[in-house]
Amino acid sequence: MAPTRTIKNKHHGSKSGGAGGGKGFKSSSSDGVSKPRNTTGPKPKVPSSQAQVKGRPNLPGLDKNKKKKRRVYTEKELGLPELNMITPVGVTKPKGKKKGKVFVDDRESMTTILALVQAEKNGQIESKMMRARQMEEIREARRVEADKKEEERNAKLEDTKDSLRKKRKRAATNGKGREEEEESIKAVAATGTKAAKPKKKRVSFAGPE
Amino acid sequence: MRALTDSEMKTVLDKLANYMSDLKSLIAPLEDGDRYVFRLNHARVYYVKLSLANLATSISRDALLSLGTCLGKMTKTGKFRLHITALPIIASGARHKIWVKDNGAQPFLYGSNVVKAHVGRWSEDCPEHQGCVVYSMADVPLGFGVTARSTTEARRLDPTGIVCFRQSDCGEYLRDEDTLFSG
Repeated sequence: MAPTRTIKNKHHGSKSGGAGGGKGFKSSSSDGVSKPRNTTGPKPKVPSSQAQVKGRPNLPGLDKNKKKKRRVYTEKELGLPELNMITPVGVTKPKGKKKGKVFVDDRESMTTILALVQAEKNGQIESKMMRARQMEEIREARRVEADKKEEERNAKLEDTKDSLRKKRKRAATNGKGREEEEESIKAVAATGTKAAKPKKKRVSFAGPE
Repeated sequence: MRALTDSEMKTVLDKLANYMSDLKSLIAPLEDGDRYVFRLNHARVYYVKLSLANLATSISRDALLSLGTCLGKMTKTGKFRLHITALPIIASGARHKIWVKDNGAQPFLYGSNVVKAHVGRWSEDCPEHQGCVVYSMADVPLGFGVTARSTTEARRLDPTGIVCFRQSDCGEYLRDEDTLFSG
């Protein structure tokens, strides 16, 4: 509709101007291009329009023949790029297959599906269990290791504590002895005998043992 | 009303197998020669006797509201969702079970998950994220869910820790009264 109207308006605009516009509009409702040309246009133009009219039906016919030939080629054969369309999975149906759904109602097919599903599920659960057991074993081993380390650390701490206590005691006892020794040495020095030289002073530190 | 297709049947049975250990009993022939079949109407899957299903063919799809036992609903993405109405069938062949103490029954029936403090006992060797049926201590099935922890892990859990995620409970008969059977 739209293209034909625009063509008519063009003719009117070129030949009859704004006054002929109303007539042209009336003629458009009844018939196409020929009417306004008959009423307003000069005679010599008529054959040209007829020729056009004669020519036109031939051209579409030729086009159709050509198109029919072209229709043989599919988009894939022409190598055209496919449009990016949204085709849901359910919509695309494989060619050559029977239309419609295949129902499962007989016992045999139901049993086979059931057995398949059951086996699959059992396998899944079994693997899940195995994995869980393995993870549990690993966790248990880690826990045991951590406990062992903790015990060792505690034992070490206790040892150091004990050693410290012992040393403190020893130091206390050693201090008393030294004083006594020193007194005896002084006494010897006073008497003048050099027979027994006093022992060198010892200094001991509380080492980490 | 129609029978299920191959893929639909697989989806339904796959879901049921999460909760049930023995599926073959579902379609085993009955003493009177009858058997149970699965039927689909308005996206709902029904577990119904074949004789009843044959009778129901005389009723148009739109007019047929329900028949047999409704197992659940097929979603638009092709998945299957179990309804609480399937509980008697699931409970008859439950794979893993959790028994809930009396103080835990009400919270569960009101829609909360099962916490460790409420568990009376549970079946051994239950892995994580596995379907389980929740029972009261009097062996009455209350609903079903999915285990949050494996049995060994759950033992080490603190009392407020979640043991089982609720999937469906009997309280839905009241809570989802409007949408449970239609809509």
